[in-house]
Amino acid sequence: MKVPSTLRFWTKMKRISEDYQSRLPDNTALKQQQLPAYRLQLSATGVLSGFFAAGAFCLGMGIILILSAKSIKEIEVKYTKICANCAELREDATNFDKECTCSIPFYLSETMKGNVYMYYKLYGFYQNLYQYILSRSNSQLLGTDLKDVGNCAPFSNSHDGTPIAPCGAIANSIFNDTIILSYNLNSSIPIEVPMLKSKITWWTDKYVKFQNPSSINLSSAFAGTTKPPYWSKPVYELDEEDPGNNGFLNDDFIVWMRTAAFPTFKKLYRRLNRIQYFIEGLPAGNYSFNITYNFPVTRFKGEKSVVLSTLTWSGGSSLFLGLAYTVTGAVTWLAAFSMMAIHLMLKKKKMLFIQD
Amino acid sequence: MFCSKKKSLEVERTVKANDREYNEKFQYADNRIHTSKYNVLTFLPINLFEQFQRVANAYFLFLLILQLIPEISSLTWFTTIVPLVLVITMTAVKDATDDYFRHKSDNQVNNRLSEVLINSKLQNEKWMNVKVGDIVKLENNQFVAADLLLLSSSEPHSLCYIETAELDGETNLKVRHALSVTSELGADINRLAKFDGPDTKLIQNSGKTKLKRTSIDRLLNTLVLWIFGFLVCLGIILAIGNSIWENQVGDQFRTFLFWKEGRKNPVFSGFLTFWSYIIILNTVVPISLYVSMEVIRLGHSYFINWDRRMYYSGKSTPAEARTTTLNEELGQIEYIFSDKTGTLTQNIMTFKKCSINGKIYGEVHDDMGQKTHMTKKNEPVDFSVNPQADRTFQFFDHRLMESIKLGDSKVYEFLRLLALCHTVMSEENSAGQLIYQVQSPDEGALVTAARNFGFIFKSRTPETITVEELGTLVTYQLLAFLDFNNIRKRMSVIVRNPEGQIKLYCKGADTILFEKLHPSNEDLLNLTTDHLSEFAGEGLRTLAIAYRDLDDKYFKEWHKMLEDANALMDERDERIAGLYEEIERDLMLLGATAVEDKLQEGVIETITNLSLAHIKIWVLTGDKQETAINIGYACNMLTDDMKDVFIISGNTAVEVREELRKAKENLFGQNRSSSNGHVVFEKQQLELDSVVEETITGDYALIINGHSLAHALESDVKNDLIELACMCKTVVCCRVTPLQKAQVVELVKNYRHAVTLAIGDGANDVSMIKSAHIGVGISGQEGLQAVLASDYSFAQFRYLQRLLLVHGRWSYFRMCKFLRYFFYKNFAFTLVHFWFGFFCGFSAQTVYDQWFIALFNIVYTSLPVLAMGIFDQDVSDQSSMDYPQLYEPGQLNLLFNKHKFFICMAHGIYTSLVLFFIPYGAFYNVAGEDGQLIADYQSFAVTMATSLVIVVSVQIALDTSYWTVINHVFIWGSIATYFSVLFTMHSNGIFGIFPSQFPFVGNARHSLTQKCIWLVILLTTVASVMPVVVFRFLKVDLFPTLSDQIRQRQKSQKKARPLRSQRPQTRRSSSRRSGYAFAHQEGYGELITSGRNMRAKNPPPASGLEKTPYNSTSWIENLCKKTTDTVSSFSQDKTVKL
Repeated sequence: MKVPSTLRFWTKMKRISEDYQSRLPDNTALKQQQLPAYRLQLSATGVLSGFFAAGAFCLGMGIILILSAKSIKEIEVKYTKICANCAELREDATNFDKECTCSIPFYLSETMKGNVYMYYKLYGFYQNLYQYILSRSNSQLLGTDLKDVGNCAPFSNSHDGTPIAPCGAIANSIFNDTIILSYNLNSSIPIEVPMLKSKITWWTDKYVKFQNPSSINLSSAFAGTTKPPYWSKPVYELDEEDPGNNGFLNDDFIVWMRTAAFPTFKKLYRRLNRIQYFIEGLPAGNYSFNITYNFPVTRFKGEKSVVLSTLTWSGGSSLFLGLAYTVTGAVTWLAAFSMMAIHLMLKKKKMLFIQD
Repeated sequence: MFCSKKKSLEVERTVKANDREYNEKFQYADNRIHTSKYNVLTFLPINLFEQFQRVANAYFLFLLILQLIPEISSLTWFTTIVPLVLVITMTAVKDATDDYFRHKSDNQVNNRLSEVLINSKLQNEKWMNVKVGDIVKLENNQFVAADLLLLSSSEPHSLCYIETAELDGETNLKVRHALSVTSELGADINRLAKFDGPDTKLIQNSGKTKLKRTSIDRLLNTLVLWIFGFLVCLGIILAIGNSIWENQVGDQFRTFLFWKEGRKNPVFSGFLTFWSYIIILNTVVPISLYVSMEVIRLGHSYFINWDRRMYYSGKSTPAEARTTTLNEELGQIEYIFSDKTGTLTQNIMTFKKCSINGKIYGEVHDDMGQKTHMTKKNEPVDFSVNPQADRTFQFFDHRLMESIKLGDSKVYEFLRLLALCHTVMSEENSAGQLIYQVQSPDEGALVTAARNFGFIFKSRTPETITVEELGTLVTYQLLAFLDFNNIRKRMSVIVRNPEGQIKLYCKGADTILFEKLHPSNEDLLNLTTDHLSEFAGEGLRTLAIAYRDLDDKYFKEWHKMLEDANALMDERDERIAGLYEEIERDLMLLGATAVEDKLQEGVIETITNLSLAHIKIWVLTGDKQETAINIGYACNMLTDDMKDVFIISGNTAVEVREELRKAKENLFGQNRSSSNGHVVFEKQQLELDSVVEETITGDYALIINGHSLAHALESDVKNDLIELACMCKTVVCCRVTPLQKAQVVELVKNYRHAVTLAIGDGANDVSMIKSAHIGVGISGQEGLQAVLASDYSFAQFRYLQRLLLVHGRWSYFRMCKFLRYFFYKNFAFTLVHFWFGFFCGFSAQTVYDQWFIALFNIVYTSLPVLAMGIFDQDVSDQSSMDYPQLYEPGQLNLLFNKHKFFICMAHGIYTSLVLFFIPYGAFYNVAGEDGQLIADYQSFAVTMATSLVIVVSVQIALDTSYWTVINHVFIWGSIATYFSVLFTMHSNGIFGIFPSQFPFVGNARHSLTQKCIWLVILLTTVASVMPVVVFRFLKVDLFPTLSDQIRQRQKSQKKARPLRSQRPQTRRSSSRRSGYAFAHQEGYGELITSGRNMRAKNPPPASGLEKTPYNSTSWIENLCKKTTDTVSSFSQDKTVKL
């Protein structure tokens, strides 16, 4: 008799306490907003030391960057005006089949040591226009579906409806000048400076993003497509000597297809092949650029140039970054000093106030 | 029938009782209660329509439509539609659940059963089917879900006791009596349904439900419009730029990029560009802003629900945030409107002290003979010897009991008076226990006290009163009952005791009574006056007690005159009043009583603290002026230090105007002369007010009663009233109707543009709760109306302090911080497109990858800012309570306003400039480490995106002042998420599957391995964060806020206990005279002497004594003979509804 009644009593008590507890909020740190936390507060020592450290770092980095930017040897030759006759010829699109060459001699006063890279540089060419960037077909360039010319307007199909390969405005407007650098060793016999056209693209571009349609014969693979209207030869004839550089896999083509962020840009064209005279780099002396002038720039009041440049540890960095770092560092220090002055002044005032 | 006076619009209601066919002609509303908004069919269209009425949703819909136009679409559609659908669905689900619960509660009420007379037979009918004109039979303890007219009841004289807890939160029983014509009709309670459904008084009085928005919401709406205007400006600039560019440059570029179809000239191109940029730049106000705000508020609401310190174990009621959209407004309250009964007070009266014949009882003396305050240790007086004693009564002074044992005749007389002079009705319940039915709880307390000390009021008839005096039954003959009224402020009975002596017993306000004393009382008078001051100083309600021996002859003469006067037609009342005056003189003072209107726990501390937080507290009560003033003193809202207390109690508009004018003159006397403001226009007036407010020295209080308020709320005096009231530290409105409560709230809302909070517990507070910005209901009570209408509810008034000072303050602080950061972040994020426009021929090319734009606000940066918005604390909750002044920034709107918005905007613009131009400069003429191109568009996009994510993460890290684990996880997690998503989307695998969706293949790998890119990101971060740190450091150093100081102090003395702020003494000290209070009303004397409320048989009523009844606003007379303010309140209600 006794046991069940006690039991009943306890179950009842339990129920009551459960009832009671069910409405009482849990006593957890989260629910009571008592989570252990670090209260962040800008302390004078922390901020000031941080500022001094950041300032020192920026100044140091700035100086290093400026020095390394200075160490870069760079030569830029603008050839739009120099090759004025060619430029004039290219103004008229109907002259597309007339060849025009242009030779620009220049003197290299100092040896360009190490790897030397040759770039072409365009001024005022907007590769970043919305419609322009859009105007390409990644699935076509992947070689899977040559007929996919989805976004390529206005260069998706030719007049008779055959799809263009590679389609789109980017591909159509490819930079198609040929630039050959020759070295006048003995002031009479010019030697063509050996240049590599490999490894001028990103690895992923060359091996992932661009693929030729699979076929034994490239020209048959591109059957049923037509060349872009501004091209003089179809895509499968871009480099007939090297199958790994032909079709969509052509390095110059891939470089062009990676659109530049700003209207003035330089793109890698060739790398110096460091053999023979050029093991050390480009020796000082007389050189000339032999340019086959195809790409019209005067139509959009642009300019083009060819650039020879060496690199440093951070690549081909310009002076800007170094200067920006130096200025930031200087400003940070200035701020740190003024904050310290103000802080100390206030502290003194407070002390005086307390003494009074 | 009787109702012609009730409504001004519906002039007359013609009803034939029990004749449905006839009544149907008038098409009265049915009795179904509808509080739900939708049904299954109408849900989707109505809900969608409502949702798209919100500016934000409509705006996003518009954007979505824009994005679907291919000509101008510069962003893919999924960037907008995914979040939009998400938001709409979330809101719809929430609305649907809310409505489901409303349906449920409606059904519950509608389906309650009632007995209705149909076809001469009583039938069970659901309340919702009850029609106007039906005759309803009610049993004891049944719910009533319509306005009914009492026809007849089983009680004698067709009386009927009703409880109105769900109407006004008052749990005492109220008496209604039927018309004599109908009272003969039936034995049970029969009632005629009069107003049904939406016409019922409750629904009509409850005001209109409006969607409450916080002031931040409203500010945000304005800001969104401004931002949109700003976007349009940017769009126009860019469109013009585009036209010019197309004209100058693009035209020559046609060789490479032909005109698209339909885009044949620069101007049209500019036009399209405009829309494209509107789409791109819309991310300044992303949908995630609104979603995040809702989430943060929801989080804060949960914190309120979870707070153990707002949990009342007495009723096991946790606090509840019933609305989840108003939290930050809790941090901006400037005015609190509080109900009195049940909110400030417990609605319990206890007999605390008394002074009998110059001796004070009720103070506890310890061994040293020193007065001490009551502590738990003191043993209460043991009343167990008295079988009739009320168990709940406690008294701590044993000396009174001793005096009784010693047979002190004055003490006997005192207690006898308490047992005789009152309007209490007694009855015995089935257990033989004596139950008192009281109309005034003060009286209940006094009679109960007498009962416990051995003078037990047993029963009464119209002619006699039976009292058990220390064990012996004594029956007194009741000769006259000199009823209470507001002018007399006293009541008397004239009785003949068994010995044949005629005595007049009188109790009333000391100020009145002391003038009527016999001159021989002077010494006692002085002593008692001291005691009364002491009582009043403790906030007790006091009454003076006196008697007079009458000789037979004199009384008979007087009685004759009284009867004559009663028979008079003219000037009857004046004559009677004169006669009362005549006999109530030469009184012998017995002493005084002190009754405590028990305050809720912690009320004084809460009010003190809230006042320190510069929150003004107004008491709006249906109570009488004296009671209200008394409570004002009791809870320290009124003090002796106040320079002046203005009492406005005029009965006509002219009087009220005059009183207001005088009060203003008094208040502004010295100030106004200097600030030569004679005629001020409303706008200037506000400015002037703030000037005057500062110049006024000393505290003032305003007390205004309902009649005067009705006049004062008329338009031409309104300004005077509000001006005066806002100068006063304390405002007490007494005798106000529910509707007037709402009007007062509206007045302050409209004229002061201040954030208001109303707190109450009864249905009479519903309208005020609904019209205030924030409505708080006291839960755990019987009536639910207030809680149902409220936005927040908790069980005790004292929790208001924590709700406002801790939760409110934090909510506001967090929300403002969230908004500041959010706008900064999105300006920084979006404006780079604008700068880029100048370098991409204004072609609406985005800087970032589309995926980044779609994910930035939802995935990469939402959680850290949410964590800050939910968890951040500047100072601890304890400090928030210790320094109520910390509340001030919220009231002054300092943390997020238009000025702060511009600062955020400038901050965002600066960051966007840094973000864009540093990479721009660095990318000029740059080459990768292997000579390859790194200045391509895609690398630029990745660099910018990475810099942006890092900069805003550093910024949130700086902004977060309370770093919990969650903050760590979210901030580091967001950065980690960004990089993993970036690498995934730029991976070969995903490109292989969707080559056209993910064209950035290999980009992250290539760009982020370049030292130069990292140097750019680092520099960008330093350059954009450094100025902010400088600014903040100097601000804390030069102009520290209170919260900064507290944080600094706490940091420097981390181990020592925090300094507590100096608080004024919460101890009441007052030398105020006359804490007189009678809570009951005139007319009961007549009921008693006529014997109409006496029962023949006494069926025990359901309510026990623990339900100490209480009475305030009179609903009694409403049915047939009610006054003008009800009429006006009805008509006003009607206009509101229309």
